[in-house]
Amino acid sequence: MLAEKLSVTHQLSEELSKISGKASFMPSSEIGKALQYLEEHGIPNNKQEEYKYCNTEAIIRKEFKSLNGKEIPASKDLKNRYYVGGAYNLYLVNGRFLEQQSEIPAKTMITSIEEVPGAELQKHLSAYAKSDGDAFAALNTAYADRGLFIKIEAGALIEKAIIVHHVYTTKDSFFFNARNLFVIEKNAQVRITEAFYPATGKNFLNNLTEVFTGEHAQVNHCQVQNAGNSFYGVDTLAVSQNRCSNYSHSVFTFSGALVRNNVAVALNEEFSECHLNGLTLSKNQQVVDHHTLVDHQKPNCQSNELYKGVADGRSMLTFNGQIFVEKDAQKTNAYQSSKNILLSDDATVNAKPELEIYANDVKCSHGTSTGKVDENALFYLKARGIGEESARKLLLHAFAHEVIGKVADHDTAAFVEILFENSLN
Amino acid sequence: MSADILEEHIGSEYKYGFVSNIESDNAPPGLSEEIVRFISKKKNEPEWMLEFRLKAYRHWLTLTEPKWAHVKYEKPKFNEIIYYSAPKQQKKLNSLDEVDPELLKTFEKLGISLEEQKRLSGVQSNVAVDAVIDSVSVKTTFKETLAEKGIIFCSFSEAVHEHPELIKKYMGMVVPYTDNFYAALNSAVFSDGSFCYIPKGVRCPMELSTYFRINSAGTGQFERTLIVAEDDSYVSYLEGCTAPQRDENQLHAAIVEIIAHKNAEVKYSTVQNWYPGDKEGKGGIFNFVTKRGICLEPNSKISWTQVETGSAVTWKYPSVILKGDNSVGEFYSVAVTNNYQQADTGTKMIHIGKNTRSTIISKGISAGFSNNSYRGLVRIQKGATGSRNFSQCDSLLMGDKCGAHTFPYIEIKDKTGMVEHEATTSKIGEDQIFYCKQRGLDTEKAVSLIVNGYCKEVLKQLPMEFAVEAQKLLAVSLEGSVG
Repeated sequence: MLAEKLSVTHQLSEELSKISGKASFMPSSEIGKALQYLEEHGIPNNKQEEYKYCNTEAIIRKEFKSLNGKEIPASKDLKNRYYVGGAYNLYLVNGRFLEQQSEIPAKTMITSIEEVPGAELQKHLSAYAKSDGDAFAALNTAYADRGLFIKIEAGALIEKAIIVHHVYTTKDSFFFNARNLFVIEKNAQVRITEAFYPATGKNFLNNLTEVFTGEHAQVNHCQVQNAGNSFYGVDTLAVSQNRCSNYSHSVFTFSGALVRNNVAVALNEEFSECHLNGLTLSKNQQVVDHHTLVDHQKPNCQSNELYKGVADGRSMLTFNGQIFVEKDAQKTNAYQSSKNILLSDDATVNAKPELEIYANDVKCSHGTSTGKVDENALFYLKARGIGEESARKLLLHAFAHEVIGKVADHDTAAFVEILFENSLN
Repeated sequence: MSADILEEHIGSEYKYGFVSNIESDNAPPGLSEEIVRFISKKKNEPEWMLEFRLKAYRHWLTLTEPKWAHVKYEKPKFNEIIYYSAPKQQKKLNSLDEVDPELLKTFEKLGISLEEQKRLSGVQSNVAVDAVIDSVSVKTTFKETLAEKGIIFCSFSEAVHEHPELIKKYMGMVVPYTDNFYAALNSAVFSDGSFCYIPKGVRCPMELSTYFRINSAGTGQFERTLIVAEDDSYVSYLEGCTAPQRDENQLHAAIVEIIAHKNAEVKYSTVQNWYPGDKEGKGGIFNFVTKRGICLEPNSKISWTQVETGSAVTWKYPSVILKGDNSVGEFYSVAVTNNYQQADTGTKMIHIGKNTRSTIISKGISAGFSNNSYRGLVRIQKGATGSRNFSQCDSLLMGDKCGAHTFPYIEIKDKTGMVEHEATTSKIGEDQIFYCKQRGLDTEKAVSLIVNGYCKEVLKQLPMEFAVEAQKLLAVSLEGSVG
């Protein structure tokens, strides 16, 4: 069994070293750890508890046997195609930062990750996402050759949102390992939205972002995943929060053949707070797998999670949320809720909300429900002259709005609203 | 009343920890084909039974121990366990007078007086008991009364001889020997257990009960229970268990299978009180049990109620396969862990038939240094239209050294299915304790009261006859865990 898995891993490693070599900005000790982890564990398949509903090994074996793809340079008119007025627009093509075309706000440092001075990286890189805890984090550590670095300086208040446009233009199958690092220093405030647009070729994106929020920092982070149906992606997000910081994350998933999100937040110091939201609309043969882990390490922290999903076609939608309350984390409040609607008989919803609690003075709860569109509500609307289809859409819209309404940035919310509407049709 | 009973047990030691001085007949320790043959021969079994055991044993050799449960323990040494131990018995017994007086005393100490039961026959609330000590069923009461109605209630080995066609048909139907590591082990070496068959249209007039006790040192207990309810029948079944206090860990790996035919209802209640180990976590029973029922035909119902207070390590998931349309599965559980106990328990509800319904109510209480996990699966298969599940699992934490965990799995493949799950974890509210104290209760009493109220939803599901016993057995050693 392991031998088979390792052969897939070896093959992938070989292909990856051909196209990217080893990450130049990564300390060699981390790369060593990562390679060792891969050697011992391989790419996970559905026999691993963590990947029970998402067989990444089979996908890689089937779809990414050889990486014969080519990157195609993006057209120069990115600004005409992707632009949000009243925001700072950043452009990444195939995970590489285009500094010339991007708008960089003051009191920040935004650059390609390979160009960040060593001292700046050293403190945070690989500090939050363990190189030897997960196969995709390990792959990323070993082979990442591109990515974005954002630093918001202490006390900076970035009033306009930063919008990161991720554009993928490739031919045939390609496998990216992109590594990003967001450092939000003490007392800084920022809204960052990442939008992934439909890709041209068949891509696997192994994207890993580490986020550090300093004391009293406030961060609103949004990811809009709409990279098309020939897109496969594992997105790992590792967040480390300092005292009194507030981190909100919302992820919207509308397309992608495989979308696996690993979100891990460590509440490292007292009085920090995190909010994780998700909205998914899965169709066709899509596999969408959300994993979240909130680790309450210190007392007096709060976490809130709301994940909603609508599954149609033959898609499979999974939510696995873990809340971990460590021994000393008294006075913790942790809530988690997952609600799903099934629109088709061939779709599947899996939910696995977990609580692991080692402190006694806590309030923790989780709830999950799965069902169909409320027949009574549907009847109510139909009785008032609204056609069945419109009524259903209206109800789904209302269902989604609870999550969309939590997005702090209006432009992002409006953008998501439109995408949701289009996806419903 | 319940508060009094709880209070009585606050800080109480494990009172069933005595050892009875009964001569026993043991197999040599270890496991091999020889031992499997030895057990089969000892029990005078027909060839087909031995075949089944050997097949299971050979399959077991290919398996490895499961490691996914949220428990930590030292792996049992499978080659040091005595797989067969029976009280020495020369001849077949016809009346209670012939039973070893030591044995009777044992059961009297446990609060199950076999003689008393006999004398009280005719009284409305009576119970038929099958007592299993170490590995062998020693006495089944009320057999004759039940036989009049066509109900078969006897030890498993007796059933193998007297009703081989039923055993052949149903054994391994719900839990095949290939199911898991411990199911395979049990299938190879199981020694005895109870068999219960309710014929068509019969409502069993009394509660059926099995009492398990591990007595000999170094032994493992592997019993098998099989309950078959034919069309339109009803039975309520209770299982209780205790073990002596020993420093070593003893293994208990049982299988329970329930088959419910059309319109049949089976209610299975367990009060599990194996020795949980001492305050330092030394000794205690490893309770690795496979329990599963199948609602085979339409309108059948299987209900599991369990009160788990014992065992050092528990690993148990009473499940229901809802195959017949409109069938119902229920699971009510209270699991209490204290000191260094670990419990990983829950249920599986597999919805296959149309309009099937299931309810899961699980209440966990952890105190001391213990860890208590709920692990459950609700699966709605494609085609199980109109199925419904409601799950609620709450945990109560008493003390800051213990852990409470929930691992629910929910898989839905039908759009008309409705599944709801909720879980909460909290400690006893200080305002609640304050309220009680203000009214003159001391803290310990207040805690008992609150804990009892917390569990009431499950306790009230227990059959009347056992409600009192069960509440007694829900001996929460809360001493020192308050505040």
